[in-house]
Amino acid sequence: MISAYLIHILILICIYLILALSLQISVGYSGMLNLGHIAFYGVGAYTSTLLALAGTPFLLCLLAAGLVSAVVGFLLSLPTDKIKGDYLALITVGFSYIVYSLMLNLDGVTRGPLGIPGIPRPEIFGFKFDSNTSFLILSVVVTTLTYLAIKRIVDSPFGKLLEAVRDDEFGAKILGKNTFKAKSFSLIIASLFAGFAGSLYAHYITFIDPSSFSLMQIIPIISIVIVGGLTSLPGTVVATFVLVLIPEALRFVGLPSSILGPMRQIISSVILLVILIYKPKGFWGRVELE
Amino acid sequence: MFYQIFVNGLIAGAIYALVASGFSLIYSTCKFVHFAHGAVIASAAYFLYFFFSMLGLNFWLACVLAVFLASVLGYLIDKLFYYQFRRRRASNAIILIASVAVLLILESLNLIFFGADIKSINFIEIGSGLKIGPIIITSLQVFIIVSSLVLLCVLFLFMKYSKIGKAMRAVADNKNVAEIVGISAEKIYSWSFVVGSFIAGYAAILIALEQNIEPTMGTGLMIKGFTASIVGGIESVAGGVLGAFLLGLVENFGIWYLPSSYKDAIAFFILFVFLLFRPEGILGLKKSFGNNNKSV
Repeated sequence: MISAYLIHILILICIYLILALSLQISVGYSGMLNLGHIAFYGVGAYTSTLLALAGTPFLLCLLAAGLVSAVVGFLLSLPTDKIKGDYLALITVGFSYIVYSLMLNLDGVTRGPLGIPGIPRPEIFGFKFDSNTSFLILSVVVTTLTYLAIKRIVDSPFGKLLEAVRDDEFGAKILGKNTFKAKSFSLIIASLFAGFAGSLYAHYITFIDPSSFSLMQIIPIISIVIVGGLTSLPGTVVATFVLVLIPEALRFVGLPSSILGPMRQIISSVILLVILIYKPKGFWGRVELE
Repeated sequence: MFYQIFVNGLIAGAIYALVASGFSLIYSTCKFVHFAHGAVIASAAYFLYFFFSMLGLNFWLACVLAVFLASVLGYLIDKLFYYQFRRRRASNAIILIASVAVLLILESLNLIFFGADIKSINFIEIGSGLKIGPIIITSLQVFIIVSSLVLLCVLFLFMKYSKIGKAMRAVADNKNVAEIVGISAEKIYSWSFVVGSFIAGYAAILIALEQNIEPTMGTGLMIKGFTASIVGGIESVAGGVLGAFLLGLVENFGIWYLPSSYKDAIAFFILFVFLLFRPEGILGLKKSFGNNNKSV
């Protein structure tokens, strides 16, 4: 029983990790305070679900989830080019809220608040990931590939360009860099991976409804990014484990379930506040949020 | 039909205007996004529910207590949290995330104390409504529009003529110069939270009467509030009010043509149009955004 619970937590950690790592690209490396990351996650989840229910093989669903999210990310990057800091944060919050309300209201496509049940578990080349153990292996593989891909991106000249844009956008422009293109690409990449995470989530839980993608779900993810430290990928990994496990410990205190959810939110919010006040760079971060 | 939609837009706009003006007031003096403003509104609505429906106090007494407690809550949020960040010269982005965390804490507390079910306050009977020419409007809705306009006028006079209002505008305009002439910026920050949260409490009463109370209502209101502020010009309270009425009208005219589920999307569409073509808002001055913390 404990081990089944542990496997569940590990799968959740994988999904959170993909979200947090991809958010590092936009918040940490490009310095864009993107609080709408959950929207891309949700778009990915719904895309994958709708395709899977139409009989598309899992790998195509996963790919399509990433691509559709990436297109949405590109669309968001168009009007937000000249906007920075807290102003950008407000816009992305608004964006996330709209995507959420569309999920809730487009009954014909998303079944609104009822959600979509019966999403098939992934099947790759005839092997069906029915048990949670096999799903964990799949998640670990996807997460590791994500980590390596993002590591490669941020270490590449493109990653350095993103950091240059973050530190001095005007300077980067003077050097002839197309900063709009750089920022747009970083948002596209971030939303691509968020879409993958959404697809994994949908096929793991086998049921999705808009409540999993409400905009406040960004808080645990942004907490991970900030606690681990901006631009630190290993820090993000450690922070994901710590921040997912701490609220889980509440489960063993024996609180009624109606209090459990809000208590978890309070605990993660308080952790976030304490870190923001006393250690704004996080534990392994190189830069501070601006 | 046109007049009816116009009136519906005004009612929505009146409520958005109260949300946006409190938010803009705090933004203009303190120069950071107080996202938890939405949670202050939701909490004030719960205070009203607590005093009026649970304790059975007189309605008007309950209103006074709710508004008073909203001001206290705003003051405490500033002193307990934002002050810590100002003291450490944290960037606006950090304060914004902190304010979202505060919003979540307050929302969760409301959820624990009052439960997830929707509450309503049945003080004014909704009834069948008055018929004025082609328009049907309930007495409550007339009350909302009138009292919102009255409060906005009082706020305008307060900002224009009172000593604190003038000091607030001075700090909003240039904090350093205001401090040189002897205005304590810290004190003015506290005042703007007290006044902004007072408006939030006032808004909460109207919202509680017209709609239902639920723990997550603050977030949605806040999104409408800052959309209105951005459309109108986030640095000015007048801009926020203008944006709010515009938003209310456009939303209601929009659902004349489109299904009502697109209401929120319409608001966001306006926001995007403004960002593309006039990011400083209707009344805003042209400048770059998100760099307030750098202009020392």
